[in-house]
Amino acid sequence: MTSPILSVTDLKVSFPSEAGRVDAVRGVSFDLLPGRTLGIVGESGSGKSVTSLAVMGLLADSARVSGSVRFSGKELIGLSDTEMTAHRGNDIAMVFQDPLSSLTPVYSVGDQIIEALRVKNPHMSEPDAQARAIELLDLVGIPNPARRVKSFPHEFSGGMRQRVVIAIAIANNPRIIIADEPTTALDVTIQAQILDLLKVAQRETHAAVILITHDMGVIAGSADDVVVMYAGKVVEHAPVHEIFSNPRMPYTIGLLGAIPKVHRNDKQPLVPISGNPPILIDLPAGCPFAPRCPIAVDKCRQLEPPLDAIALIDTTPSEPEDPQLSGDLHQVACWRAEQIHGSTLDGEPVFPVPAPPTSATREKPREERSTTLSVEHLVKTFPLVKGAVLKRRIGSVYAVNDVSFDIKTGETLSIVGESGCGKTTTLLEIMGFGADVEGTITLDGVPLKELDARGRRTQRKNIQMVFQDPMGALDPRFTVYEIIAEPLHSLDYPTKRIDGRVRELMDLVGLDPAHMDRFPGAFSGGQRQRIGIARALATEPKVLALDEPVSALDVSIQAGVINLLDHLQAELDLSYLFVAHDLSVVRHISDRVAVMYLGKIVEIGAVDDIFDNPQHPYTEALLSAIPLPDPTVERRRNRIVLSGDMPSPTDNEPGCRFASRCPLFKTLPESDRMRCLHETPPLHGKDGTDHRNACHFR
Amino acid sequence: MIKYLLRKALGWLAMIVLATNLTYFLANLFLDPKANYIDRRPPVPDAQLNQMLHPYNLDPTVPLLHRWWTWLTDIVLHWNWGYSPVGQSVNDQVGFRVWNSAQLMLGATILACVLGIAIGVYTASRQYRLGDRIWQAISIIAMNTHIVVAAMVVVLGAIAFNNAVGHRIFYVTGSSSIGVTGFFNVLVDKAQHLILPTICLTFISYANYHFTQRSLLLDNINADYVRTARAKGLTKARAIRHHALRTSVIPVTTQVAFAIPGIFTGAVITESIFGWQGMGNYFYVTIAKNDIHGVVATAAFAALMTAVGAVLADILVVIIDPRVRVN
Repeated sequence: MTSPILSVTDLKVSFPSEAGRVDAVRGVSFDLLPGRTLGIVGESGSGKSVTSLAVMGLLADSARVSGSVRFSGKELIGLSDTEMTAHRGNDIAMVFQDPLSSLTPVYSVGDQIIEALRVKNPHMSEPDAQARAIELLDLVGIPNPARRVKSFPHEFSGGMRQRVVIAIAIANNPRIIIADEPTTALDVTIQAQILDLLKVAQRETHAAVILITHDMGVIAGSADDVVVMYAGKVVEHAPVHEIFSNPRMPYTIGLLGAIPKVHRNDKQPLVPISGNPPILIDLPAGCPFAPRCPIAVDKCRQLEPPLDAIALIDTTPSEPEDPQLSGDLHQVACWRAEQIHGSTLDGEPVFPVPAPPTSATREKPREERSTTLSVEHLVKTFPLVKGAVLKRRIGSVYAVNDVSFDIKTGETLSIVGESGCGKTTTLLEIMGFGADVEGTITLDGVPLKELDARGRRTQRKNIQMVFQDPMGALDPRFTVYEIIAEPLHSLDYPTKRIDGRVRELMDLVGLDPAHMDRFPGAFSGGQRQRIGIARALATEPKVLALDEPVSALDVSIQAGVINLLDHLQAELDLSYLFVAHDLSVVRHISDRVAVMYLGKIVEIGAVDDIFDNPQHPYTEALLSAIPLPDPTVERRRNRIVLSGDMPSPTDNEPGCRFASRCPLFKTLPESDRMRCLHETPPLHGKDGTDHRNACHFR
Repeated sequence: MIKYLLRKALGWLAMIVLATNLTYFLANLFLDPKANYIDRRPPVPDAQLNQMLHPYNLDPTVPLLHRWWTWLTDIVLHWNWGYSPVGQSVNDQVGFRVWNSAQLMLGATILACVLGIAIGVYTASRQYRLGDRIWQAISIIAMNTHIVVAAMVVVLGAIAFNNAVGHRIFYVTGSSSIGVTGFFNVLVDKAQHLILPTICLTFISYANYHFTQRSLLLDNINADYVRTARAKGLTKARAIRHHALRTSVIPVTTQVAFAIPGIFTGAVITESIFGWQGMGNYFYVTIAKNDIHGVVATAAFAALMTAVGAVLADILVVIIDPRVRVN
């Protein structure tokens, strides 16, 4: 048994706040062994980032830290900033969440790497440091490193900047790399690249890695051991296979149950965890999860369970070639852990699965339903201008380029794709009723472009929108009543009936109508999103446009909102136009999926056809990049990693937009390549199906 | 870059020409050189006054447009900005007053910038601690002190000091003593005259830089990239100096760039109190004496200096902020 490189014992961190002392971390212990990857999962506010910052000694001065953090046996807590500086960078390095803000904007990336090198090696000469910086950039996969070393951060994309941050982190061969949500801000395709890169970096430096994330799929693919945190404490700690096959703490079970499964087709509702995480000020006695736990008993409410070792059931090693890397310890903080086996208690699932909603419309085949929204040949361009005073148009950005689709009653169409592909623009142009675009938008049989002002107002009732950020989309000075009643007032709903309608809507989205005089600030994120949905439903629309409605929510809350959307659709026969980057949510909620790349739909079809039988090379790559919350499957998968970033959509020459990154293109003979480059592939499909793709060779 | 600056400079030039001509007409509407002689007893006959003002292109019997044309062609062809009602050349006046103002303002401006930025950095890194609070109190007082008050206190203090030592160490009026020769002697004499107004001007103007720099640095001190720098192994102090300060100094630079031309346009009240014959004083005197050409020249000069400040700010920002590219 090797000795741990990092040993955290009973770490406690608290911050002063106006409401009282916030106990952000309440006694965390774990050991990190050399060469291993420890995943820390938990929802926002669970204390995972605070723990990592405490290890680095980078917490704000107001934080009170107690307990022990030992690096190779040396105590780090209590060291001064100067003493701690000796460890940062070469012993423990860190990769932060947001690559856009974690590089200094006014220095070139080369200078920032060189600074990291020379602060630890003062005798390194300038040319040596420069050469090493280029070598590091090459290692992390920056093309043209010798030239790019002089570039500034704003000249790189988000994924490229995260590579630079990783280059800085590994510059001095650290023994430990802490990666705090390193891929949360990135697209799935880029996420796959960065996770691979972290593994490369780990191999190069033989470092131990602490990987902090909220994404169970990332954990399944990368971690050897997993720590689950809740309310500032470790509630379960086990090897990765054990966590996924035999979770013992109800919170872990709930977290796993709340994730939509992208690789399986089950239309079962998700299992949400009711309630919200506790506020970490003056926590009451007992298990902090007890109020949300379906199997809590009296003891749970009286006494907080300690983290105790329990027998390991699944001993599959995380790295079959190197079984040493797997842990052999399962610790859990639950009074009833011994009774829980395979996510069940006495043969019953710990979290009861809700019944799936049914409706007559859903039984009907697609062809027999009426079309509620159809979009034909939608083109939206933004001018590319030059000049300070006299702005000349020198070209166009094709944000949406000839997009067509239709949505039937009671159906969900999802648009997926990387950021910048035009999915949100499509949504916004439809919401704008196509005032300044080419193409036709037909809502409920009415072509929108020809409408006068009055007609537009009437049609506005039929399509409503739910926004991504539930905080930003609600006016903080309006009560919930005012927010929901506002569309009713503006669309001349009879004043007498508004009161009753607001109550009805709040009830419909699962909010207590008694709370209608409260302000949005008094609600949690999930509840706010429900308010947003209630407001959108006020006018009895036929179509809801949902722009990333759950991406700002924690997994356990997200499941509840997804179930609500599903339930509302069945009850009200709504059509959803859904935009999301989380493909597992898309698979769960959609009937049909459209994959967009650079303003064009490259593949469209029924959700199972797309996910189980993707045709277009881009769809294949996109789907293979999704991390699956199943370590067995995840570790055996072959990823199609796309090289490079999405090019900018400025030219409208004929040819396939995806050719520059296409894995299929690289294998084609020269004559076929010319076809890709000079002929725009139309959307086509095999006879008799509506599964169509835009690739010449599929 | 050069093309961009040329284009900007041309725009400014057009603006200056327009503003100056507009001022010429306004000044002619509001200022009447004949009013200088209204209290004369016995009264000077009107015809004689017109006769007196005629050689200086100020004769009201000549049509305004005609006078304007003469004024404009003199400037364009001979670089002659005209004469005061008593025949002083505006060119001569501005020529020596600009340097007087520069002597007075240069030291004070540099001191105010350096002091203000230094205090800003010091207090930002000690937010809400004693040092921050004390400097905040001092700066609020300094910012709200009127120059007249500050000057009075300083002058009274200096006189008391001079009396106490029995020798005139500080001069409270004028920019130099008459009859001093020799490089070293002139230098000491200049310093004796400069020190009091410099103290006053620095005192009332540094606080602005202090507060701006403090809040800008505080915005950046907790930025993610400062944390990245610390994670690399830089000490907190060095991470702040290298990373937070470097980004937060960009907006302050613009402010400094605009302050530089102010050196030459002078300080109206300070120059009057300390008896300096600078541009600020000139501005006041020309208006009081109905000196139309002097007023217009002062306005044109101020416009030019504003333009210089703006172009300077553009250049500086491009130099220190790689994100800004003018194309």
